[in-house]
Amino acid sequence: MKSHVKRREFLNLLAAFGGTGAALTAGATLNLLPSASRANSLSLSSPNPNKKSVVILGGGLSGLTVAHELTKKGYECSILEASHRCGGRIFTVRHGDLIDEIGNPQVCDFDDEPHMYFNAGAARIPSSHKNILKYCKELGVDLEVFINENKSAYVQDDKMLSGSRIRNIDFTTNMRGFMAELMAKALTHEELNQPFSDSEAESLLSSIRSFGDLKENDLYEGSFRAGYKSGGFLKHGVQKDMIAFRDLLKSRLGRQLLSANEGDTGPILMQPVGGMDKIISGFLSQVGDRVKYRAVVNSVEVLDSGVKVTYDHDGARHSLDADYCFNCIPTHLMVGITNNFPDEYKTAMKYVRRGDAYKAAFQAKSRFWEDQEIYGGISWSDSPSRQIWYPSHGIHKPKGILLGAYDYGGGIFHTKMSQNDRIEAHLSDAEKLHPDFRSNVEKPITVAWHRMNHMLGCSARWQRSFSAGWTHEEEKLYETLRAPVNNRHFFIGDQISMHSAWQESAVMSAQWALTTMDAQVRHEMA
Amino acid sequence: MKNQIKRAIPKQIRRSALFLMLSLTASICLSASNEVVDNKYCTTCHGSDGRGNEAIQAPILAGMEDWYLVRQLENYRGNIRGFHPSDERGIAMQAMAKNLSDEDIIDLVQWIKTWEYSPPDTTVTGDKTEGEKLYASCAACHGENADGNETLGAPPLAYQNDWYLVTQLKNFLNGYRGTHESDTFGQQMVAMARPLKDDSGIRNVVAYITSLRSK
Ligand SMILES: Cc1cc2nc3c(=O)[nH]c(=O)nc-3n(C[C@H](O)[C@H](O)[C@H](O)COP(=O)(O)OP(=O)(O)OC[C@H]3O[C@@H](n4cnc5c(N)ncnc54)[C@H](O)[C@@H]3O)c2cc1C
Ligand code: HEC
Ligand code: HEC
Repeated sequence: MKSHVKRREFLNLLAAFGGTGAALTAGATLNLLPSASRANSLSLSSPNPNKKSVVILGGGLSGLTVAHELTKKGYECSILEASHRCGGRIFTVRHGDLIDEIGNPQVCDFDDEPHMYFNAGAARIPSSHKNILKYCKELGVDLEVFINENKSAYVQDDKMLSGSRIRNIDFTTNMRGFMAELMAKALTHEELNQPFSDSEAESLLSSIRSFGDLKENDLYEGSFRAGYKSGGFLKHGVQKDMIAFRDLLKSRLGRQLLSANEGDTGPILMQPVGGMDKIISGFLSQVGDRVKYRAVVNSVEVLDSGVKVTYDHDGARHSLDADYCFNCIPTHLMVGITNNFPDEYKTAMKYVRRGDAYKAAFQAKSRFWEDQEIYGGISWSDSPSRQIWYPSHGIHKPKGILLGAYDYGGGIFHTKMSQNDRIEAHLSDAEKLHPDFRSNVEKPITVAWHRMNHMLGCSARWQRSFSAGWTHEEEKLYETLRAPVNNRHFFIGDQISMHSAWQESAVMSAQWALTTMDAQVRHEMA
Repeated sequence: MKNQIKRAIPKQIRRSALFLMLSLTASICLSASNEVVDNKYCTTCHGSDGRGNEAIQAPILAGMEDWYLVRQLENYRGNIRGFHPSDERGIAMQAMAKNLSDEDIIDLVQWIKTWEYSPPDTTVTGDKTEGEKLYASCAACHGENADGNETLGAPPLAYQNDWYLVTQLKNFLNGYRGTHESDTFGQQMVAMARPLKDDSGIRNVVAYITSLRSK
């Protein structure tokens, strides 16, 4: 019997929970739970006077972090950056900026105003990412709150409610109501109640009731949480009709909608005022004179006493010797750059794949969404364009920049299209969320990370299977790349972390490499 | 490719030829941006001096015959290669070539000629004795040492990345390459690849082909 199996699973769950619960009690009593830790503070030693030169390959966030920390200590750093700009996947697009997609270069034509920008790569900083936040503070990068989840924004799925859009709040309130009703029913069942004491059961039930806004009878009958059908201020509010559970279940968006505010994307999220690349400007205010732009690394040779790098710049090939080398060039590009790394490094470099995230943006001629009670946040749809982001900044100004598509999983779908086809796809997808979208927007741009010059992809993918987690082999490959080559060459970047796709990971990988190098320096000096 | 190496221009001249090329090649300055964009993005995928990148699956270009380079770039541009929806790699390259003008192609080929060839690592293992038997039917066009035959339009194979030869033979068998009506050269290869039958046939012949490199 179907229901029996379900009850069985629930019981198993409770049994497991009992075990954890016991552990938690013990932990709390002994005060073993981790307290919020601080950002790492590096205490690097001064350089060995004969070994002060450092070459940094790639002006990504991790490269700049290394340059900044080592310059403070008196090292002589040179940064070789292949692109016309630093920042790599931290890329804020403004008026006049080049989007260097191979085969499809674009120039952004947004209005030239401080709030008219688009964060085409990194866009959100969680409050738990202490190390990147520490640099924001140190470098004077002003932050503001970023709105991720917006209950007033829309949800649309062709398979649900004949494809009509509803507000996020309608989806989540009803979904939670029905889920709570199911949970409450299950818990009041005698055999499930049994593992809990009376007061525990009471506490759990009251949480469930509150989770779904259940009535006294433990039934969900709609909720004012979804807002009013009419009235509410000067007159009595009239409750909205419920949306049938079955209708909501037609859509698979519930998965994302119920977790948008959890984990790394949970509040409080922040963004630098004026664009994510203010972080890069902050670092460049310290080490900008150390950067050589359009300097494409051609070979890396690790020697006993240092590193020899050749690079192409201004139509000529140059050579540079340094005592240490830090390298944030994406490993899959490094495979094609002549090097003398040991075979196990080459194997590991080849193993890492790249995500193919894709974003697109439009300039909005008016902030039409603000007339629809939407201020910041995300509308979700099941179309390939997936999301619309409304800017958290520039509220009530005449215009704004909208994200019109964000495919963080399989961006290849849009990447393969021509520029015109991409834009048409986003316009027609967006019309399902905002019927008058097309006439309200102009000046589109697309950023297909899989084709961006010197990047060719988004974050490193170490795992062949996300569900299976890291295999032992993968962990070994990761440890290989993380270890310095001959104590001279260090791979860095979020690619050398187990939590790629975050700036925090890039910073922490740089800090880890610096600490490793510093130990070596101290050892040599002793 | 071998000929190319023999013909190789002394290093110094080659380098100055490179300067010249870089300054001559048409580069577009997109209006409204101060940044210059050119077509010199090949090495991002094909690696330093076009030595190939297995992680991107973009093959060696250094040392490749100019007539073959031109034809392949034209084929990609004309959607004769890289058109099949499942041909991920071909599609990637097709997008890189679709906006090239005839002059761009000539410039690029001149640029590629300045790159020095160096033999790639061996990554494919197979039974060379079996491979030699299979290769007997290939030699008529590709040459006994697999160094190509311009008159027949058959490129050198011995100097190419072995993993790339494997993908291309699979592409011929899978209909990704050589099926377009204008692909007269590719069409010949479709029939030629058939006797290789499967993975092991392909690996054997490729293992033999790359062993000819040293000869
Ligand atoms: C779409 C997207 C969304 C993201 N969202 C977030 C977010 O919301 N929050 C967050 O914290 N993070 C986010 N990230 C992740 C964050 O952007 C990255 O983790 C971080 O920027 C990586 O920094 P890095 O140091 O690894 O260097 P990278 O950014 O990978 O830089 C590598 C550098 O190497 C250079 N290079 C390449 N080849 C050569 C060569 N041959 N010679 C010289 N230089 C070369 C490149 O031009 C580049 O500048 C996002 C990323 C993307 C793409
Ligand atoms: C985005 C990565 C990328 C870029 C940039 C790129 N290529 Fe390619 N190229 C590839 C891939 C992948 C293949 C293999 C395609 C296949 O399997 O059919 C390829 C194949 C080729 C081939 C066919 C070789 C053969 O033996 O059949 C030629 C020629 C070529 N590229 C030239 C160029 C030139 C010239 C440029 C610069 C204008 C360039 N490529 C830029 C990825 C790239
Ligand atoms: C009738 C002449 C002929 C014969 C025989 C022949 N080929 Fe080819 N082959 C060609 C031609 C012509 C091309 C170039 C196709 C094109 O321009 O796209 C080619 C291309 C190839 C390529 C692609 C190379 C590249 O760099 O993209 C491979 C691999 C190849 N042949 C392998 C073989 C093998 C293995 C055999 C024997 C089993 C064989 N060929 C037999 C004519 C031939």
